[in-house]
Amino acid sequence: MTDRHPSIAPPLSNHRHVVATSVYVSLRRESEMPLIVKDHTWTQNQNTVYISVPLKGVKPASVHVICTDEYLKVSFPPFLFEVFLFGSINEERSEARIGNGVAVFTLQKRRDESWEQLFTNIDKDKQKQIREQAVLKVQQKEAEKSKAKAARIQQEKKYALETMMKLENKERDRIQKMKDEECARATAELDFWRETQRKTAEEKENQQKTRGTGPQDNQPVNQKTVTLMRNTGDTTSGQRSRKQTAKDLPAPRSAGCIQISFTPRVFPTALRESHVPEEEEWLKKQAEARRAVDTDLAELDDLREDERNPDWLKEKGDKLFMSGNYQAAVNAYNLAIKLNRKIPALFSNRAACHLKLRNLHKAIEDSSQALELLKPAVAANASARLKAHVRRGTAFCELELYVEGLQDYQAALEIDPHNAALRADSDKICEIIQGTT
Amino acid sequence: MSLEKPQIIAHIQKSLNYTVFDSRWIPCSAKFVCMGNFARGSGVLQIYEIQHGELQLVREIEKAKPIKCGTFGATSLQQRHLATGDFDGSLNVWNLEVPESPVYSVKAHKEIINSIDGVGGLGIGDGAPEIVTGSRDGTVKVWDSRQKDTPVVNMEPMEGETKRDCWTVAFGHAFNEQDRCVCAGYDNGDIKLFDLRNMSLRWETNIKNGVCSVEFDRKDINMNKLVATSLEGKFHVFDMRTQHPTKGFASVSEKAHKSTIWQVRHLPQNRDIFMTAGGAGNLHLWKYEYPAQRTKKGADDVDMGVAGSVNLLQNVTLSTQPISSLDWSPDKQGLCVCSSFDQSVRVLIVTKLNTV
Repeated sequence: MTDRHPSIAPPLSNHRHVVATSVYVSLRRESEMPLIVKDHTWTQNQNTVYISVPLKGVKPASVHVICTDEYLKVSFPPFLFEVFLFGSINEERSEARIGNGVAVFTLQKRRDESWEQLFTNIDKDKQKQIREQAVLKVQQKEAEKSKAKAARIQQEKKYALETMMKLENKERDRIQKMKDEECARATAELDFWRETQRKTAEEKENQQKTRGTGPQDNQPVNQKTVTLMRNTGDTTSGQRSRKQTAKDLPAPRSAGCIQISFTPRVFPTALRESHVPEEEEWLKKQAEARRAVDTDLAELDDLREDERNPDWLKEKGDKLFMSGNYQAAVNAYNLAIKLNRKIPALFSNRAACHLKLRNLHKAIEDSSQALELLKPAVAANASARLKAHVRRGTAFCELELYVEGLQDYQAALEIDPHNAALRADSDKICEIIQGTT
Repeated sequence: MSLEKPQIIAHIQKSLNYTVFDSRWIPCSAKFVCMGNFARGSGVLQIYEIQHGELQLVREIEKAKPIKCGTFGATSLQQRHLATGDFDGSLNVWNLEVPESPVYSVKAHKEIINSIDGVGGLGIGDGAPEIVTGSRDGTVKVWDSRQKDTPVVNMEPMEGETKRDCWTVAFGHAFNEQDRCVCAGYDNGDIKLFDLRNMSLRWETNIKNGVCSVEFDRKDINMNKLVATSLEGKFHVFDMRTQHPTKGFASVSEKAHKSTIWQVRHLPQNRDIFMTAGGAGNLHLWKYEYPAQRTKKGADDVDMGVAGSVNLLQNVTLSTQPISSLDWSPDKQGLCVCSSFDQSVRVLIVTKLNTV
């Protein structure tokens, strides 16, 4: 139901509507006709009127004054005093003093005349009009005042901001000036230093020229004569350079080799390179796979302790595979898988057995299952994935599905690009495919 | 009132037309060398001189392979030969007056030489001048220019070990003719300290993030402090005077720059002041304060080092690209040259360092 304003609602016999109007009416009743104050006093002289209105115990804070050029209204609930002035006054220059139980109004007359009475007699309509005008005027004035105040506040804020900025700029300039001075001083020092460097370099060069050939002469005969010359024409720089060439440098160090090892990590990549999230996932999966044991199998009761351990069964299967008993190996792997469906090695090995037994479709299924379990692809399960791909590839090729087989061989090559046998096999498959098309 | 803190003033800035990787002062002069590679894939060495507030190009030398790093650390003051490592793994020592063919050349590594350092030259310290190079192939090799073709020491991974890139090398502890240490930082956060006198690994640690730069505060004294900077805006200052048998060296670490700290360089005139260059193009100037006691007794009555504290003196942002290299002038305190990946090189003056 939307809210309806009581005054515009059609007069429906609507319960809510009725409630609304009753509330409206009761509000009206509260703002009853106030008590008119009649015991005011007033005096006047040529240009001013003084009106004194007793406040009858009402606090000055709740006194509300509306004053226009022809009308004065003082309302202090529940009292009301209003007067339609005899002559017009200058509202701006009039003042009101409210306190001590009385409100005193000092009204400046517009025309210097003596008023016969305070009130003028005007009819009700005029009164109403004047009242409305007064209210409007007061509202306008309030609006203007607040606007002026807002503008003034804005102005002051702006001024404050500008002054702040000026101060900060001054500070910044001062610091910049100090920095520039330092810079200039440092530059001057640098230039001076460079000049002295250059001068000493030149001097050294001149000295070297006068001394003749420098100390880089290696031939023994000349060296003797040179040392003789140097001994006779002794300059301090000559002495120093002689000392340095004469000083024996120690022989080159005897060769040594230090072997080092690097801080190990579970995965061989540095922290910044590692695919940490995938590697963590892989480790977690492995851990879970170890733990998962499918326990609600009826056949479990018939098994020995050993035969309930998937690892033991896997080892058994591997041994049987090695010895060539592929069917028995398959059985061992079957049982292991029944116990734990999450170990990829079991599927991969069973695929190898099936390959040997020429159960090619089963081999493909098992290696696919193994590859599924070997996700995510990380460095740690690379060799397992390699084996699975190769086995599946072989099975596909045996079935003459060469394209699928090639795909698997390519995947295997991606894992291990340096495997020559793999490369040879995949090349052969390529040839066969090209031969048949 | 004048400014009291040291100010870092960008005195000259020059835009170059190639990527510059390293810049080094030529000792006893107001010239420096910039090394990098042209867009066409060849290496370049440019020598600049500071004249009247501007950089004058004195010489430009183009080489076949881009040059990654260089050092003057292993030559005498008269010769001032520059040892460079390039993208191909070759170590070359050039006489800049006659740059057509190198004074010494060897194919040091199979992959790019990331970092190079020299010791024993410039009249600093005793012992034979040697050059150490660290490369992406995971090995750190020490070379002597009198021995051709084979390194004097080779620090390589063991057989079967996956190699990690070596990102930075530094010499230190070269206070007499026999002692010398090489510190190497790798991309997996390993820091290894090799003692060349005993030919063994003296200490190693891992700071989790790749080590971009290591430097001893002085090469030619009993090792005092080592600063190692890494990725992720952290650097560590190790107090190297006291080595605990299990805990190693004490250290204090600081996070700054909010990005990779590419370089750290100690002021040659004051070994407790160093500057770090960051990946956001900013430079921080730090001062290390020693603790009241540099050693203390540990739990098992063995001496342990105590690390001090590091204070930031000043910082400035010069560029938006990382500042890849920084070098203090050994002749004028406060003068330094830095190069960054926005293909520009800047000469900076740091003031008030004598009152710090």
